[in-house]
Amino acid sequence: MNSTYDRLVNILVSRFEVDRAELAPDVTFEDLDMDSLFLVELLLVIQSELGVEISEDTVSPRDTIGRAAELIDDTVAAATAS
Amino acid sequence: MLVGLGSCLPPRAVPNAELATSGTSDEWIRSRTGIRQRYFASTGMTTSDLAVGAGAKALKSSGQPTVDAIVLATTTPDRPCPATAPTVATRLGMTGMAAFDVSAACTGFIYGLASAAGLIATGTADRVLVIGAETYSSILNPRDRTTSVIFGDGAGAVVLRAGDTDEPGALGPFDLGSDGEGNELITVPAGGSQQRLSGVDAAPEDHYFAMAGKEVFWHAVRRMSASARAVLGRAGWQVSQVDKLVSHQANLRITNHLADELGVERARNLSNIDEVGNTAAASIPLLLDQANTRGTLNPGDRVLLTAFGGGLTWGSNVLTWPELAPA
Repeated sequence: MNSTYDRLVNILVSRFEVDRAELAPDVTFEDLDMDSLFLVELLLVIQSELGVEISEDTVSPRDTIGRAAELIDDTVAAATAS
Repeated sequence: MLVGLGSCLPPRAVPNAELATSGTSDEWIRSRTGIRQRYFASTGMTTSDLAVGAGAKALKSSGQPTVDAIVLATTTPDRPCPATAPTVATRLGMTGMAAFDVSAACTGFIYGLASAAGLIATGTADRVLVIGAETYSSILNPRDRTTSVIFGDGAGAVVLRAGDTDEPGALGPFDLGSDGEGNELITVPAGGSQQRLSGVDAAPEDHYFAMAGKEVFWHAVRRMSASARAVLGRAGWQVSQVDKLVSHQANLRITNHLADELGVERARNLSNIDEVGNTAAASIPLLLDQANTRGTLNPGDRVLLTAFGGGLTWGSNVLTWPELAPA
């Protein structure tokens, strides 16, 4: 998987204390009992790490981790292109 | 110059289990907010009671029983009119002194400190009592799990006096800001002139406090980190020189994230939200008093204060912690 996915996994493990064994690209945030408030924090951390503005609405609890990585990559690509 | 400090909590501690409903649990509340209990005012108690309690202790701590002005930061005044500060002043034996409320939600105490510093700088007052006091329990919607488990009641107060910038306890620069575009994110919709003049009766839930948690989290972290950096710049301090970070205790996840964002080690990030919840304008002075009493704040510490609240509003300040006489 791409490095954004790896970043998400590392943040989920280190900051949100999720068990690495529970994580896979097709797991949703809802599966991990993470609601939109946790996602706001996750996006703020990713935003800091990648140095790119990411809207708080980019990812929702029903998205999978894999999909979240793609959505974040799209945002980064759009920001770099403009 | 900070020369006196005190705080007051109502007697009734309310653990998470007492508030847990079908949508929440002790674990749900702790993992999202870091809170395990808060204090609620009992029937018949008022914000002014808590303000007087904290104010009296701060005056005693300052070594003198009076001040020239009383500034009360609150968004839960005893009544919409008049302001609560004159009542608090009279009850503390200071009828005749300047007294006014400052309304800036959770940023209120910092705005209050800035107002007091202004009164001192203009020679209008030599000593000022600044109090943050709230009874949010009076406006919480028991059916709203995003707010009903977060807020608590309490008060904290400091006494400021005129002095020199290099004396211990001197307040450094301030950074204050607001954004009215966010005025719908943190509200008590009814009870003001807007609703009364709207021609439409208020719905029962309009009298309750409402907060858009997700958006507020987002704005709070961004505004507090920018404001904190601005004030550090004005003071000429590097982040590495900050000994203690005292941020508004909105949510443990926010305060920890903010510390990480600023580059302040977690060990320097003071917190008491687990035991008192989010006490809005009382949050910072309550934490300062507890930390001073418990020895986690020490004379000579370089302290960074930062807060964010409804309005939207935000503010930061720096100071070097003084030696304060024990209570």
